[in-house]
Amino acid sequence: MTRTLTRRLAGLALIAGAAAGLGLAAPGALADAYPQRPITMVVPFAAGGPTDVVARIVADHMSRTLGQQVVIENVTGAGGTTGITRAAQAAPDGYTIMMGHMGTHGAAPALFKGLKYDPATSFDPIGMAAGTPIVIVAKKDFAAPDLKAFLAAVKSGGASVNQAHAGVGSVSHSTGVLFDSIIGAKPTLVVYRGTGPALNDLMAGQVDFMTDQIVNVAPQINGGTIKAYAIATPERSPALPNVPTTKEAGLDNYEVSAWNAVFAPKGLPKDVSAALVNALGKALEDESTRKRILDLGGTVPPTAERGPAALQKLVESEVARWTPVLRAAVDGNN
Amino acid sequence: MSDLVSNLGLGFSIALSLQNLALCFLGCLVGTLIGVLPGVGPIATIAMLLPITFGLDPVGALIMLAGIYYGAQYGGSTTAILVNIPGEATSVITTLDGHQMARQGRAGIALGIAAIGSFCAGTVATMLIAAIGAPLTRLALVFGPAEYFALMVMGLVFAVVLARGSILKAVAMILVGILLATVGTDLETGQERLTFGLAFLTDGIDFSVLAMGLFGIAEILRNLDHTETRDVVRQHIGRLLPGRAELRQAAGPILRGTAIGSTLGILPGNGAVLGPFAAYTVEKRIARDPSRFGRGAIEGVAGPESANNAGAQTSFIPLLTLGIPPNAVMALMVGAMTIHGIVPGPGVMTKNPNLFWGMIASMWLGNLMLLIINLPLVGVWVRLLKVPYRLMFPAILMFCAIGIYSINALPTDVMLIALFGLIGYALIKFGFEPAPLLLGFVLGKLMEEYLRRALTLSRGDAMVFLERPICAGLFAISIIMLVAALTPSLRRSRDDVFSEA
Amino acid sequence: MSELNHGRASGRGLVRGPQSLVAGIGLVALALFGFWASGDLPQGTLRAMGPGLMPRWLSVGVGICGLGLVLAAFLKDGEPLARAAWRGPVVVTLAIFAFAVTIRPFTFGSVTMPGLGLIVAGPLAVIVGGFATPEARLRELVILALFLTAGCMLLFGDLLNLPIPIFPVAVVDALSGTLSTRTLLRLAAGLLAVGGLALLFLERAQRRQPVDVAHHSMTT
Repeated sequence: MTRTLTRRLAGLALIAGAAAGLGLAAPGALADAYPQRPITMVVPFAAGGPTDVVARIVADHMSRTLGQQVVIENVTGAGGTTGITRAAQAAPDGYTIMMGHMGTHGAAPALFKGLKYDPATSFDPIGMAAGTPIVIVAKKDFAAPDLKAFLAAVKSGGASVNQAHAGVGSVSHSTGVLFDSIIGAKPTLVVYRGTGPALNDLMAGQVDFMTDQIVNVAPQINGGTIKAYAIATPERSPALPNVPTTKEAGLDNYEVSAWNAVFAPKGLPKDVSAALVNALGKALEDESTRKRILDLGGTVPPTAERGPAALQKLVESEVARWTPVLRAAVDGNN
Repeated sequence: MSDLVSNLGLGFSIALSLQNLALCFLGCLVGTLIGVLPGVGPIATIAMLLPITFGLDPVGALIMLAGIYYGAQYGGSTTAILVNIPGEATSVITTLDGHQMARQGRAGIALGIAAIGSFCAGTVATMLIAAIGAPLTRLALVFGPAEYFALMVMGLVFAVVLARGSILKAVAMILVGILLATVGTDLETGQERLTFGLAFLTDGIDFSVLAMGLFGIAEILRNLDHTETRDVVRQHIGRLLPGRAELRQAAGPILRGTAIGSTLGILPGNGAVLGPFAAYTVEKRIARDPSRFGRGAIEGVAGPESANNAGAQTSFIPLLTLGIPPNAVMALMVGAMTIHGIVPGPGVMTKNPNLFWGMIASMWLGNLMLLIINLPLVGVWVRLLKVPYRLMFPAILMFCAIGIYSINALPTDVMLIALFGLIGYALIKFGFEPAPLLLGFVLGKLMEEYLRRALTLSRGDAMVFLERPICAGLFAISIIMLVAALTPSLRRSRDDVFSEA
Repeated sequence: MSELNHGRASGRGLVRGPQSLVAGIGLVALALFGFWASGDLPQGTLRAMGPGLMPRWLSVGVGICGLGLVLAAFLKDGEPLARAAWRGPVVVTLAIFAFAVTIRPFTFGSVTMPGLGLIVAGPLAVIVGGFATPEARLRELVILALFLTAGCMLLFGDLLNLPIPIFPVAVVDALSGTLSTRTLLRLAAGLLAVGGLALLFLERAQRRQPVDVAHHSMTT
């Protein structure tokens, strides 16, 4: 009884997984060409989150170019640094790569004192994968008609204004305290475990505003349950065509996006690195992959801004940008 | 009303397509399988199966993933009843009476009632989602941090009420549970609490690790103490399926459990977790002889199991109508939807009616399939109990170790189940019950977050808990429950103050 | 048995509930520990509760419960101390730790265990764990380990596709490029199952002989 059931189960699973299974069943063609076995891509956040979704979309296409499955392994914890630490310590043979993130490779040094890696020196950058613009959103009955009035209200309101964020180290926290420091406001910070509950209270009007990734907030904005004041990118997003950019709305220096990029442990052989850079590049040039990222509200960086050299520069500038702001915010809290 | 009929018609026309039926069945089957395997939860499995669904159309993919989720709820109760390992917070309660029934040779009846109760609950909950899901969601937005805090306090009072032995010991266990929940990085300040600089504690203790240690491993250790009695008990198998008398006995609890579970499941703040506790407490309170509870009362399985499944279904409501995932599995469903190009949120119902109603119809079909899968399996599971224990427990050990490892790929998690197993063994030896500890752990984490959030929003004014009517009402219920739980012991002689039957 | 002890305990004077006494002392110790461990965390105010507030007050609560139990131990008759076995807890813990340190490369201080994968860690856990009971028989456990490991490899690695290391790191490196992981997995699982079957038949055959002899001696 059990055995027939297992067999039936195995059969069904095989039918459903035929597409995925075929990729595995065909062994690599040449004996010494990289890659010869599946590649693990460590995603330092939970499955289903924005970073995970981007990683899966990109990995799906990279698998086709490389001829080997790129398997996603979610290793969560400590604002993503657990997974990145583990991946950084893996052998630099190209079989362990990771999807880094604004938090793990920009904000982390300021937030985690015992960080076991240095975003700028512990990795071989492969390339940018996607950017996720940040949107300034507020509860739907917030009185201000536009961004200027909103900024004035937040500034003059002081601690009586409630700003939500999804925990220290989250994108909404980092970009939120950056926002506060740029406009010089001191709202009361209300903490949530994850974006979902924070959005829920924003919809219910328990909190006044937050800054978060477009992926998380676009459906609610389009559904009219919360309102958006501005998007922190140089250009408007096709996912939110009616939301002005921060510059258009009169806030010049708040341009920020939660970017995702692929890294490998330091010391990758040249040919392996080249193969990965090529596979990532091909994925981002593929129309259907691009469309999937754009549909999410994400952006695909132009070719000049996504190679290994550009990524290295970005990491260095991001660490420099976040460290003073976050140190000040965290110390003020303690 | 005609809207509802035509909508459900649309849903069934989609769910009944050959491909979607097959995917639904596959999802339920995989769900049952991973639910039965201790430790392997729906989160890890859905995450691993996501890439396989890339090639499918979105509706079919989501039907399968949803099947895995509620299939795992079914399967999870099997493990809870047979080997006393709760796979999820919601099946902790099932272990209390379900495993006792198994020890008395009534495993088949417990499993059967769990399956039948779950099916009834699933049917009602599906109807509920279809009929009043959307308006109910708006109601859920009245629940702010203060109300959730009150709800969690009520949950902890339930934990006291459902304790069997000394009330003082139960309270101590709840407090220790909450204390364990505070281990890890503080959400608000990012400071490490009670981690002693150990890296694997920075994210706190995983529920599955704690539950598997305190229940699963400790149960093995306790069984190893007295081998003779145990194997004799296991040879008694008894009837395989519940008879008419048992069904009649369980009908009330199933209905009440369904009502409680579906109501709490609608709350976006993971209210579904409370469903089984609440259902158990209600059953124990209204029972003519509450002392049967914890010793294999069928109502103690029927009520919570129904509440559990009803909550699992209705927790799709906040996801589908608000786009807000109430728990980690639902968060994963959001990811699955976005990967398939569907943006969950207030627009899903109007923009993707095929998806919305197709999923709802498939849930009912899935529940029917689960009943068909599970009832014949009862015989198989019960026969498994005939395996001599000296072979059974090494197998359980191995499944536990693999299951826990698969959650985070951390060997330290595996070691922690051994540690919590020893602690659980010691607790049994000193007359403590592990269930209140686990409940304190689950609710404590949420409780502290809601408390701090409510006080931040009220600028430190504790009156907020009394000024809001829903909140004050919930506190009133908690106090009444607590007094009711304490009075029988107060009436007895002073010597008995600390132990209530 | 507990009835007997119960009677004796009540006659023993001061401590009437030894179990409560020890349990209470344990809780008080835990409370002191929690109080000490959360001592360096800021308490905050009601308006902005610090991370230390909850652990501190929870510890106080646990301590009060502990004191209550201690008090109860002197005031009313309670259970005696339960007898605990050592073999089960020690061996089971050993088995779980054996699994944990072999499943993947594990570093403890200066010692690094090589990652051996499920194919080693699984049987290790089953065989070591099996000896937690005095009824353990080595051959039976080996057969069980072979079957279970083969089943788990197919179930977790092949069917559910969970990222669990199956083979030792060294083997994977040596064989990379020659065989796909999945083929290797199925082959190895098949081999284990065949090994298990062989052992099973061997044991059956051996067991049947003495039984047959006994049977004949009875009839003649």
